[in-house]
Amino acid sequence: MAATPCATGRAPAPAVGTQATLATTGSTTATTKASAKAIGCGARSRLLGMASALVLASAAHAAPLLPTTDSQVVERLPPATRSSASTDPAVAVREARALLAAGREAGDPRLAGRALARLARWQNDPSAPAPVVLALADTEQYLHRFEPATRRLQALVARDAAQPQAWLMLATLHRVAGRYGESDAACQALVAQRVAPYGQACLAENQALRGDHAAARAGLQRLLQSATDAASRGWLAATLAEAEQRAGRVAASDAAWRQALQAAPDSYTRIAYADFLLDQRRPADAWAVLKDDIRSDAVLLRLAIAARRMNHSQAATLQAELRERFAQADLRPESGGHERERAMAALDLDDQPAAALALAQRNVALQREAIDLWLLARSARAANQPQALAQARQLATTQGLRDARLESL
Amino acid sequence: MTAVVLWAALMTFWAPPAQAHKASDSYLFIDSAAGQTTWRWDIALRDLETVLPMDADGDRALTWGEVRRAWAQVDALALSALQVPGCRLAVDAHALEQRNDGAYAVLSGQAACSVTTSTPVGYALFLGVDPTHRGLLRLRVDSGEPQLRMLAPAALPATSGAAVAVPVADAPVAPADTHAPAFIGEGVHHIVTGYDHLLFLLCLLLPAVLRREHGQWRAVASWRQAVLPVAKTVTLFTLAHSATLALAALGWVRLAPSFVEPAIAATIVLAAVDNLRPLLLRWRSAVTFGFGLVHGFGFAGVLGEMDLPPAQFGWALFQFNLGLELGQLVLVLLVVPLLFALRQSRNYVPLVLRAGSTLAGLMALVWLVERTTEWRLIS
Repeated sequence: MAATPCATGRAPAPAVGTQATLATTGSTTATTKASAKAIGCGARSRLLGMASALVLASAAHAAPLLPTTDSQVVERLPPATRSSASTDPAVAVREARALLAAGREAGDPRLAGRALARLARWQNDPSAPAPVVLALADTEQYLHRFEPATRRLQALVARDAAQPQAWLMLATLHRVAGRYGESDAACQALVAQRVAPYGQACLAENQALRGDHAAARAGLQRLLQSATDAASRGWLAATLAEAEQRAGRVAASDAAWRQALQAAPDSYTRIAYADFLLDQRRPADAWAVLKDDIRSDAVLLRLAIAARRMNHSQAATLQAELRERFAQADLRPESGGHERERAMAALDLDDQPAAALALAQRNVALQREAIDLWLLARSARAANQPQALAQARQLATTQGLRDARLESL
Repeated sequence: MTAVVLWAALMTFWAPPAQAHKASDSYLFIDSAAGQTTWRWDIALRDLETVLPMDADGDRALTWGEVRRAWAQVDALALSALQVPGCRLAVDAHALEQRNDGAYAVLSGQAACSVTTSTPVGYALFLGVDPTHRGLLRLRVDSGEPQLRMLAPAALPATSGAAVAVPVADAPVAPADTHAPAFIGEGVHHIVTGYDHLLFLLCLLLPAVLRREHGQWRAVASWRQAVLPVAKTVTLFTLAHSATLALAALGWVRLAPSFVEPAIAATIVLAAVDNLRPLLLRWRSAVTFGFGLVHGFGFAGVLGEMDLPPAQFGWALFQFNLGLELGQLVLVLLVVPLLFALRQSRNYVPLVLRAGSTLAGLMALVWLVERTTEWRLIS
């Protein structure tokens, strides 16, 4: 199974002190007074005096919103997800899972933060019930907190090996980090739990990553044929599509992607397919795949790249919106962990290969999926840095990844 | 069962993880210079809505009317989650701001206090609601380079009242002199901008350059004759308000602001009327002292809202009082020579004393009504 074509990077340790100075330069228009006055409500104060010559500079990327009537809608809210104060772990897990699911649906980490708050009681409890541990780890990995998620799951399987979900999550976490050996061990533990086809699929994916394409393909196709429900077929087909992509079999990959989208048309699969199409210089097809999706940053990035390559009329607008989103996110000093998207934007949108290379190099320190090494190699080539290209190949060799794209560069 | 659970796990990795959709941030701007602090705080409406029932009709669309009706709750939530030692924050204005990730409530205000780059800012917004929330503070001191701080929600340090229980030896004691200018400045600022105290003092001073002889006002002959009554008046007022300021600040005597604030206005009305038509006569000194007691409670109200650190409480109180007296002294030194110079003018009694006192009395009367009813003319 493929993990995450977009953004699984860990957030690096906060470095407030060093990054603070960078982020303070974003001040621009002094909109405070104007906006405060526009809807101002004077407060009674005996300290009326002191002419307030002080005007606070507003942050960048913000503009006063000046509603004219009470009935004007100023904000659309996501569906209500209120949670109770119950200390019953079953209730807490149910509510946290609902929050996290809603967050995934909308690509909204705020809801994941609230899921974390709902489970905070068990955050440091070594004897927390297994469902709580799983929900916590799930939320943490969603928030790119890979290390605590991994530690938490390892502690759980150490006290109770009969936790297939924990093994499956561990297998994926190790795989994303390029630790195929440890991922295999987790897959084997999953096989031992007799939860076919998950154990077999888990092993087949690692097999494909190592370049044992024929065996992996045979295994995945066998599982695909026996899969009865659409969601399983979609997942297995997407795994196969990525394997064929790395094997350099473009037509087979395209067919598998289409099969995956037909079975389970979710945003993840569409983004991954769009990446494939952009690689294949088919921007119009990539655009068509994503144009109606919720415009998460990952979707917006691919659309902007596609629009640029096909000279679409919206190209400049999309690029500007993405830049603004990145700039706002960068106001938070600990906003790292999205180097993959940033590197793609620098390389494919902004024509800044040197910046893209630096970002791609930082990214592989966080995550080493095939797409991350491929991005590093592409950036190295664009920046005309043969040593960096060699570094990408060396990383692949070291972790045992075989990718025809890397080898053909 | 196992298959269902596993399926959930698969969907976990299947679904797109965080796609750099923004996490929850609030943007706090603090600009402090010359004893005056201007602040502004932008908080996402959708974050506020998770803890406040803002969407009254539950249609998941916030209207301007719904936001406006929730301002009081927003203010209460925000102000209870922010602690800037030495500053009493109150929201003076509301606005909305559109950012990339949605609409933000904008709260802003001014406070007569100083914030420095070493002032610890307590931040508890969305504590227990979203541990990934952060407040991004951009602090500018004396028009210098802004300092950026990232504030993670954490329980606020105990305020002065609660912290009294902390053994003094354990309480962090900052060198007193680092705060000296701040609290003297607060005192000066408060007397200079506290119009009601100034007006009261002015009413006491207007007749100080005159003597009453046979029901008629006569200018004093020399400055010596003016200095004694002025000194006596100012001293009595000072002694009285210092006493009640100390008593109230130490928590030994408490009077509700709902009584103190109108009472202060009433003292001005009485002092003004006494200038027009003698009522107090030989009781004037005693009444000045009594009124000073009332004003002291008013000063204490300001001081009480500053959350003074308990370890430095006495010292800060002394400085605040010193600042008040310095400000008062400056006023006396400015006004009295002027009045003295004008005292022999034919117009002094009708235009300065009578008209001035009438204006002051009317002003105070408006305050008195405003402070006891919902009616508003000025503020």
